[in-house]
Amino acid sequence: MYDSGGFTGMMCKKNSTVGDILFDIVVTFVMAVVVIISLYPFLYIIFYSFSNSALLGTGLLLYPKGFNVDAYKVLISDEKIPHALFISVARSIISPACSLMVNSLAAFALSHHHFMGRSFILRFLTITMYFSSGLIPYYILMMKLHLTNTFLVYVVPSLFSAFDLILIKTYMESLPAALEESAMIDGASYFKTFFRIILPLCKPVLAALLLFNCVGQWNSYSDTMIYNATRTDLHTLSYVLMNFIQTSTSTAEAARQQAGLMTVNTTSLKMAMTVITVIPIMCVYPFLQKYFAKGLLIGSVKG
Amino acid sequence: MRKSLAMERTVTPMKKSFFIRLRQQYQIYLMLLPAMIVAAVFSYVPLSGWIMAFTDYQLGQNMFQSKWTGFTQFSSFFSGANDALYTVRNTIVINLLSLFIGLFVACAFAILLNEVRLRCFKKFVQTTSFFPYFVSWVIAYMIFNSFFAVKSGVVNQLLVGGGIIGSGINFLGDPKYSWGMILFVNIWKSLGYNSVIFLAALAGIDQEQYEAAEIDGASRFQRINHITIPELTPTLVVLLIMNSGWIFASNLEEFYLFCNDSNYSKMEVLDIYIYNYGLKYLNFSYATAVGIVKTIASIGMFWIVNATAKKLKGSGIV
Repeated sequence: MYDSGGFTGMMCKKNSTVGDILFDIVVTFVMAVVVIISLYPFLYIIFYSFSNSALLGTGLLLYPKGFNVDAYKVLISDEKIPHALFISVARSIISPACSLMVNSLAAFALSHHHFMGRSFILRFLTITMYFSSGLIPYYILMMKLHLTNTFLVYVVPSLFSAFDLILIKTYMESLPAALEESAMIDGASYFKTFFRIILPLCKPVLAALLLFNCVGQWNSYSDTMIYNATRTDLHTLSYVLMNFIQTSTSTAEAARQQAGLMTVNTTSLKMAMTVITVIPIMCVYPFLQKYFAKGLLIGSVKG
Repeated sequence: MRKSLAMERTVTPMKKSFFIRLRQQYQIYLMLLPAMIVAAVFSYVPLSGWIMAFTDYQLGQNMFQSKWTGFTQFSSFFSGANDALYTVRNTIVINLLSLFIGLFVACAFAILLNEVRLRCFKKFVQTTSFFPYFVSWVIAYMIFNSFFAVKSGVVNQLLVGGGIIGSGINFLGDPKYSWGMILFVNIWKSLGYNSVIFLAALAGIDQEQYEAAEIDGASRFQRINHITIPELTPTLVVLLIMNSGWIFASNLEEFYLFCNDSNYSKMEVLDIYIYNYGLKYLNFSYATAVGIVKTIASIGMFWIVNATAKKLKGSGIV
């Protein structure tokens, strides 16, 4: 993502001493170790999920042994999993979209300096980053608001985020003020200026935050566990996987026994489930990385 | 026309009366409204629940009419069976270890990555090292379970198979390995993320220094030692100080999975303790009291961090 100017590139070849070569070897070795540690676990899980579990021995896997997709067939035949996938997708799209709207509106308002009570409102909003009421008062609040056992618990509490607000506000402040002034002179209201002029210009930071929030929503399981555990139709993929890992028997396991498949065991089912959960992240990952540098870092370095 | 509007943006017009300004700017307040309502309802209103910590609250009761117990919940946390001692110790030790060693490792990694000559290899390393940051804790746990479990874990299978140890080591359950294990987990997951800021700082170093050093005959190691490391130290110090405010906060999703019945003496952090007492044993008053202790300790920590940052940089974090 970053090029540091390539000072090393400029001066290689010339005077390669023994020390330099040794240094290169050490660097390459360390980097190779980092790559293996970061990457191999995912490969292992993928290989395992596609393997015939009757053929699996112990130790490392470098390719799927006895390639088959039976584990995935068993999982998909369990109607709970496609439904959980649907809930996960829904929350990963609806919640970030709504929260970006709320936060960018507030950020636009706070990027102006001339209205009454600005500093108070800014403090009021940003200070929420530094304290929390704690799990239990929050849980009781959710019960009182009747948000427990509803889909809304995935959306409403995360609507406002002080972190997102600050990043968007910093980005908006870096835009030239003349843009907004000229729109206002032409008679546009604040709302019109926001939607027509400012919002389209904030695409990099909005894209970055959208992706980050999507991934956060996709990965989260504790809110399902705390607020929606009894509503099985609201379980997300992450939560289903969590349950699956923690308990040895499950509906999928029962399905496997019924089908009498010998190529699949509980572990390979877990592995396949993990792969299903991680694939969407892998798909958006290239964009995540691209926008992280473009959008988030600009904001955070300045802020 | 143009001039007067431009002035309004920069200089606050004091002439206009309060109501005229309010009418002109009602849209601004309208824009702030959703965020303020959500912040008020979900961050400020639940603070009223703190009253539970001072009463004997049972689920279903009216919070304000339960029996007043004063500070007994707090004193039972600090006096009863060393609970406060080991949970606070675990929280601080795990977070400080992860913060300090995590940032040092990320800094070293960024320096070495910067020395990689092949562009595409550099990019590949960065891409792969960043990936674990984006996977959920469930998947991270699944991975560590499949590698470090006593019998089925790949690492143990290799160690036993190679004759290095007689029987598998319970990395995930034995309290002896807990802190080292969780440190490794945290570094594995956040190495790429932490190194990004160092790589950005590295890109900002004045390249002429390196050229001058090279002309003077400095080796690559000397250049790192005398230019790169001193240039990165301020970034490292700022990150260390800034992140120290979070040492009482742990990730519930992480510890819910990695903390278990056998290693809880070294792994049970405040957040898990609160979760267990509140939602497992339904002792709401006690869990709230512990939550208050955690929040107040955190605020104190932020206050210290803010004061330090003010002294060092001239500007606070809040």
